[in-house]
Amino acid sequence: MDALIADRSQFAFTIMFHYLFPITTIGLAPFVAGYTLKAALRPNDEAARAAAFWTKIFAISFALGVVTGIPMEFQFGTNWATFSARSGSIVGQPLALESLYAFFLESIFLGVLLYGKRYVAPLFHAASAVLVGIGSWLSGFFIVATNAWMQHPVGYRIGPGGKIELDNLEAVLLSPFAWWQYLHVLMGALVAGGFVVAGIGAYYLLSQREPSLGKRFVRSGVIVAAICSVLTVFPTGDRQGADVTTYQAEKLAAMEGLFPTERGAPLAIIGMPDTAGERLIDPIDVPEFLSFLAYGNVRADVKGLDYYRRSTWPPVELTYYAYHMMVGLGSAFVVISLLAMLLLWRNLLFRRRWMLWALFLAIPFPYLANEAGWVVTEVGRQPWLIYGLMRTSEAASPNVDAGETIFTLLGFAGMYLVLGVLFLYLVLREIGIGPSGSHDIGPAAERAA
Amino acid sequence: MSVAGFWLLVFMLTVYVLLDGYDLGVAMIAPFVARSDGERAAAMRSIGPFWNGNEVWLISTAAVLFALFPQAYASLFSGFYLPFMIVLWLLMLRGISLELRGHFPSRVWHDFWDACFFIPSALLVLLFGVALGNLLRGLPLNNSGFFLGTFAFLLNPYALLVGVFAVAALGMHGAAFLMLRLRGAPSDRCAAAFVWMWGAVVLLYLAVTLSTFLLRGELGGIHFFATAMIALSLAALLAILMARARNRDVATFLASAAFLATLLVAAAGTIFPYLVPAYPGGRNGISIYSASSSGLTTAFVFTIVALVATIAYSAVVWRRVGRKVRV
Repeated sequence: MDALIADRSQFAFTIMFHYLFPITTIGLAPFVAGYTLKAALRPNDEAARAAAFWTKIFAISFALGVVTGIPMEFQFGTNWATFSARSGSIVGQPLALESLYAFFLESIFLGVLLYGKRYVAPLFHAASAVLVGIGSWLSGFFIVATNAWMQHPVGYRIGPGGKIELDNLEAVLLSPFAWWQYLHVLMGALVAGGFVVAGIGAYYLLSQREPSLGKRFVRSGVIVAAICSVLTVFPTGDRQGADVTTYQAEKLAAMEGLFPTERGAPLAIIGMPDTAGERLIDPIDVPEFLSFLAYGNVRADVKGLDYYRRSTWPPVELTYYAYHMMVGLGSAFVVISLLAMLLLWRNLLFRRRWMLWALFLAIPFPYLANEAGWVVTEVGRQPWLIYGLMRTSEAASPNVDAGETIFTLLGFAGMYLVLGVLFLYLVLREIGIGPSGSHDIGPAAERAA
Repeated sequence: MSVAGFWLLVFMLTVYVLLDGYDLGVAMIAPFVARSDGERAAAMRSIGPFWNGNEVWLISTAAVLFALFPQAYASLFSGFYLPFMIVLWLLMLRGISLELRGHFPSRVWHDFWDACFFIPSALLVLLFGVALGNLLRGLPLNNSGFFLGTFAFLLNPYALLVGVFAVAALGMHGAAFLMLRLRGAPSDRCAAAFVWMWGAVVLLYLAVTLSTFLLRGELGGIHFFATAMIALSLAALLAILMARARNRDVATFLASAAFLATLLVAAAGTIFPYLVPAYPGGRNGISIYSASSSGLTTAFVFTIVALVATIAYSAVVWRRVGRKVRV
């Protein structure tokens, strides 16, 4: 394995594992804040139990997010030193802002949320939950802004020695590309949060526990999942697609598996890309629909991969399959959550066991869709690290060799295996105990002692 | 502006050492002063609400270093690839032990995480000290500013001495914090042993100071800055002992913090204007002028604004949540 592949594998593995936890915390943040606020404003036992339950799940996810997030902040320097030295004047900015404006906020108020209930007024406690949520959303913004700049660089100039220098930070942070990407990512995480809450509620109802809180969870989870899964598709997904069409045409062609340039290009629903033969095998497609989606005109010309030099093609198969997986799952979320909304509205939801089963089993899939979306974004950007400015192949640390990186990659793999098992064990245990279960020996009691 | 950036980083790193220093210090002394399961839980609880925010000072220092001096960030982090990875793993173990210990009611579970709390914390402090020692000693760098040496080079006697000193100084800091935050047997044990810890810190301080002068060959021409910093450190050491003798817990902790701050400022003043000084002196070091970012002023302003806000709301949280913990 050469050093570049080792560095890329390490980054992909550590970021994809890490990202599972931010999805959870960003997606659960409004539920934690909502239930905590409700418990503070109109104190009743049920709201308090809901708040305590989701705070516990949130806290475990947050802890895992923090520890797996530490390597991310350091990896730009350890594994991608050339990239950092050349573009640090810009990339360092949003990363520093994330740490300064978001990490401090979430970490310090998480301390109040978890440990301070006994010491502070209920409203201060609830405000802390809201601030933790704001912190996690802000953190997401700065990270996506960093990534969006690498997808579509703006506000820079090239300085001496090829250094990429900061020209205009406002342009970097207010770039429409970044905002649409962020909103799409945020909606994706909220879909996950909605399905987690609804799915756990459905589990309680199916196992005939928590009759009242279970319904509450299903109801609020379904509403959030329905609204956000629609917003994921339109306008955020649509707008992001338009940005990719405009600024990253090779990525669009790879996502859609479009090899020949076509007037009135079809949209492939399924089919297998064959890069060597430059064709899509056994496609089932909607004629002219891709031209319509990309340009609002069924006769529009869409550039296929054949239009570009092969050295600027992204890995076609991975981009194509990840994109189709994301879109397929995203569509399924719209169908499931809208169907659940319909049943909810007709007061039938809690009596339809198959629907509760569907909600329960849906829990892992938004995570897959979120990860697949990032694979499209990141793999589809190749061979560029900073689109049009710097290739991935010239970005790694010159003084770290493949052996070292493989060694630490294996270290991360082992550690994350343990962390993943611990996470599942602790979260499943909390779900097993449930919001109303006796919990006088766990952290709640220890913290309150 | 580069000079202001340098001292901003020194300030952030100092705040990190003062704050997370007590978390690490509590972890290092906990096995000795907190003997029962309940006492250890209380020791962890005393830092529970704060450790995560404290650790963000380290993450932020790294991120601000990236924004202000990308060249230094890149060569430092890739040059010390394996040491940095070890630090990361230790930080991860320390964090996870604090968060997960309380989630399961079992003595074995608790003891396991106590060990994951104690050992990584002690190693972290030792490594941080060794890193600081090597910065003071200088590092062999090539023309592009990348580290050329080996592990053996990093583990030299001088750096190890600074590492041991860091363990002692933060151990004392942790003891001062426990006396402040915790009511019960562990605090009493800290109080009883405090004067011994203090004595060890004084001896190591003198040894480190002397060998720093020998190493940098400046014993003949002691200049004003070094003299002033030594005077301040000694004054802070004396203040720690006096405050402890009068049972003033707040004053003891603050004096200990002041002592640590004088050490870090002295170290920073010694290597200035280098971020990574070269060994054995002079050539190829990464200075604040060669490494600075074109966005330095922007990042500087954003950092100052954020830190003012952070310190303000941290103060509110400390006042509200910082009541004494009981065993």
